[in-house]
Amino acid sequence: MKLRVSPPVFKGRLHDARTATSIGRWLGPAFALCFVTGLVSHFMQHPPNWLADHIPSRPSWGYRVTQGLHVASGIAAVPLLLAKLWTVYPRLFEWPPLRSARHALERLSVAVLVAGAVFELATGLLNTAQWYPWPFSFVPVHYAVAWLVTGALVVHIAVKAPEIRAHWSRRSPGTLALPAQDGADRRSLLTAVGAAVGAVTLTTVGQSVTPLKDLILFAPRHPDHGPQALPVNRTAAAAGVGRVADERYRLVVAGPRPYTLTLDELRTLPQHEVELPIACVEGWSRSAHWTGVRVVDLLERSGAPADARVRVVSLQLRGGYRVSELGREHARDPLTLLALRLNGEELDPDHGYPARLIAPNRPGVLQTKWVGRLEVLS
Amino acid sequence: MKMTRVLVGAVGVAFMGFGASLLTDVRDPTGVLVWLGGAVALHDALLAPLVLLAGLVLVRGRARGPVRGALLVMGALTVVALPVLLRPGRRANASVLPLDYPRNWLIALAVVATVTALVPAVRALRRRRRSPS
Repeated sequence: MKLRVSPPVFKGRLHDARTATSIGRWLGPAFALCFVTGLVSHFMQHPPNWLADHIPSRPSWGYRVTQGLHVASGIAAVPLLLAKLWTVYPRLFEWPPLRSARHALERLSVAVLVAGAVFELATGLLNTAQWYPWPFSFVPVHYAVAWLVTGALVVHIAVKAPEIRAHWSRRSPGTLALPAQDGADRRSLLTAVGAAVGAVTLTTVGQSVTPLKDLILFAPRHPDHGPQALPVNRTAAAAGVGRVADERYRLVVAGPRPYTLTLDELRTLPQHEVELPIACVEGWSRSAHWTGVRVVDLLERSGAPADARVRVVSLQLRGGYRVSELGREHARDPLTLLALRLNGEELDPDHGYPARLIAPNRPGVLQTKWVGRLEVLS
Repeated sequence: MKMTRVLVGAVGVAFMGFGASLLTDVRDPTGVLVWLGGAVALHDALLAPLVLLAGLVLVRGRARGPVRGALLVMGALTVVALPVLLRPGRRANASVLPLDYPRNWLIALAVVATVTALVPAVRALRRRRRSPS
């Protein structure tokens, strides 16, 4: 007896090129936006040497917007990607599976595209919930696979260009060649996909768009939850600092004319108030009023040159991001403060008591808390 | 036109090459490959067949459009909610995952079901108003 393997038959009528193109017209831009904003975040957190001094400190809300868009476009891409994969699923069982070397390469690029796309959305979403079930480290892998999947997407668009063009609009020749009676059903499906995109966006985006916070159902953060109504990533206890005793606190400014300040001395220096957001790489952000001493004032007092970079060192004992660097633009920006107060109150220990860095257009992990030392780098 | 496609394709291959070269530098490349393959396997062998089966059983008859729409929106919300619903272990602090997510999930499904049920009713009402016979 001979066992015969035959591919499954799909009777659904919308597994066609017009449906795939319509969804792709949204999915492609969502991935492009996610990739570009991801690059922005990558270079702000890990600037190569030639870039470090040229990262702009304005607009002050820049990182809040780009990283909010990064996470929102990734979430919006979830229903789009699943709908797209549903549409093209029958092609997985193409018969014969491989027709030529070219066909094999094309299928391989699609395999990379599907694997990478699902992988990026899944790992990104899990990361926002601080859930790391994989054996590798998230940041470098998420970054590497982003290039892989974007490359595969560009190849895919080049390969499919004629089909995309033929089905671009309702009146394109390829679309008109499809059975006309499917049009209404396809529009109903696409409307549902649009509704799904709207639903996942509205129930999560309030974590970065504060006016929409009351619609939050599934965001891992809520702007109102946290000490002083501001979310926290690393607490004082987790960082091993606890509550720093006022009389023991010293700020060391290590420049050409080094000096040390007590907390009382820091409080008697000219204080400035700024409104700046904490914008986390995980997508959430919230604006707040900060009061403190301008970093540029502290630098000038130490005789730092105008183009100096600054290393900001925390008192924390445990965890990454103990040290961050301010490029020239950020160090000189009058909005960059060593903040002592948040929304009119003393900083909570979890927000960096007694003094933390707050600078415009900067990822939250680099807004160093419990600052004990500023080092002027030449 | 053909030339443009070839050039665009070459740019894509270059991006893929750069991504692959970055991957060779990570500490556990095997783990990454397992997860990449697992992503495809999970979708192609489990999620997609389940969705097709659900469509075959549930999406039929006169209300197939609204039913499909409701299932699609509920499914998308559920997938996006999975990490906050299922994350095991202790939270880093009280501001991480601060909400009652299972409750929110039930609310979301109820809202979608209600809106879906209202759509045909509103449509019928409009039709009646337009043609008062």
